[in-house]
Amino acid sequence: MLKIDQLVSGYGTVQILNGANMKVENQSIVALLGGNGTGKSTILKATSGLIRAWKGSIEFDGEQIHNLPPHEIVSRGLVQVTQGKDVFPAMSVTENLRLGGFILKTKKQLNDNLEKVFNYFPRLNERKDQLAATLSGGELQMLCIGRGLMSNPKMIMLDEPSAALAPQIVLDIFKNINRIRKDGLTVLIVEQNVRMALLLADYGYVIKDGVINVEGDSKKLMYDESVKESYLGGTKANVQ
Amino acid sequence: MFNKLRIGKRGENIIFSVFVLIYIAWCISSPDMSIESLKSVLTIGLSVGIIYGLVALGISLIYTGLDVVNFSHGEFFMIGAFAGLTMFNVLGDQEWIFNVFPDAYGWIIYVVCLFTAFVSMGLFGVFIERVFLRPLTKKGGGYTVAGMGIIICGFGLSVVLINVAYLIWNPVAKPFPAELGLPMEIGGLFLPITYIWMIVVGLGVAAGLWFFLNKTKMGLGIRAVAFSKDVSNLVGINVPLYISIIFGIACAIAGIGGTLVGPTYQVVVFMGYIILMKAFAAAVVGGFGNLPGAIVGGFTVGIFETASSFYISGSHKDLYAFLLMIVVLMIKPTGFFGTQVKMKA
Repeated sequence: MLKIDQLVSGYGTVQILNGANMKVENQSIVALLGGNGTGKSTILKATSGLIRAWKGSIEFDGEQIHNLPPHEIVSRGLVQVTQGKDVFPAMSVTENLRLGGFILKTKKQLNDNLEKVFNYFPRLNERKDQLAATLSGGELQMLCIGRGLMSNPKMIMLDEPSAALAPQIVLDIFKNINRIRKDGLTVLIVEQNVRMALLLADYGYVIKDGVINVEGDSKKLMYDESVKESYLGGTKANVQ
Repeated sequence: MFNKLRIGKRGENIIFSVFVLIYIAWCISSPDMSIESLKSVLTIGLSVGIIYGLVALGISLIYTGLDVVNFSHGEFFMIGAFAGLTMFNVLGDQEWIFNVFPDAYGWIIYVVCLFTAFVSMGLFGVFIERVFLRPLTKKGGGYTVAGMGIIICGFGLSVVLINVAYLIWNPVAKPFPAELGLPMEIGGLFLPITYIWMIVVGLGVAAGLWFFLNKTKMGLGIRAVAFSKDVSNLVGINVPLYISIIFGIACAIAGIGGTLVGPTYQVVVFMGYIILMKAFAAAVVGGFGNLPGAIVGGFTVGIFETASSFYISGSHKDLYAFLLMIVVLMIKPTGFFGTQVKMKA
């Protein structure tokens, strides 16, 4: 579904990605893991078109997308879900969700998708007229994922859905991500919470210094020593 | 030193009310004070204020959407006035309008002029944004505070537009003799109908903008772009297009303001500069970046200016708007409706 080939990119003149290769199969959950500043979010931003790919190519559904503007990529069915703090705080929950369905043509599609999102996250239905600024952290994350689902995507990319949330809520959100996959979507999930992400995912990539360091089946990665190493920055802590 | 005195929101309001009371007492003690003069001061203040409010609305709209202050906005106001005047001169020669609508031709011509100014300035604004501002954003900074180049470009654009208008229409002040009928009597006052018309159309435009922003899909997109360009990109909004639309709407509103002022005063090449500065003061007074605040700020500046020049001293008319701005910035730095800082994602 998504194929990233020798991707080189960065911000301004600072190069972050040094030729990353990735592949996401149809209807799978793939986890992208790595420590701070290794380039996880940069891959997502380059894929969704927020920053340009300097070299290499990104292919989605058999089409080159690395030269398209972000709204074109969204309309092809590839949506990035940001962290929960990126909602529009001065708008109500319903308005936020409507924005997610901005590219939809008819009102009926919009209402159908609203129904679908409320089905995934009943909590949002309870709070649909509240301002987004008044929601809790978990509800904000649900709102973000719901907003991503509003535009009928084929694939969603989640940027740290478990960041700064209580374990109970993380579990709830991860269950819903699994449900989303069962309903036919492909999911790429970027995580700091390695254990949870690998439990959920089918396949995992570990990124280090802008290149994919380790990849493999998620069950295998869970017990891989080098994953722990690269996740902790590559140097063994010398504790005595 | 001053930031050690934490007076809080309530303290701000109390001190501001004290200033207002002192000012009102000063006005009442003036020998010119009477109910009649107060009535005319209020109407003139409101009609001038709505013009400041309309231009401030555009400045605030551009500020919320693009994160820069557009210092060439007064020139869009001036060119809008000329666009309306040009249309007025063209239609004034058409005899069939007089024959078909013998009673209402003045109104019809004037409404067409307003519409012309609105549409032409909207398109002109989009053109300016695409041709002159867009390349600057690509060089870096973008529509952020880092994009100082756009602010400098605004000053330059202002000079260029004034001189282009100077070449086309020459510097002589031109009358805009719209025939809108006899003065109207309201509460014992005979008011030129243009004053009423300014307030009505101005409020209508403001209400229309509110409706557009809050009730339509495009308005939802504009509010999203104003909050965060990255998140707007991710939900599939064509952000460059929407930035052009925001700029176009702001310029179109300024154009309407120019055509509204025309019949009451005169149309002259240099009318934009002082309006820009006073509209800026109005935007600051109302709370920078707040759209209802821009209109309220416009009314406040308009009434304050008219009342001061009537009751205190008429020879310093252009001073009062800035005096009010300084007092508001000292006591209530956020303006009437402003929030502390714009939240950035």
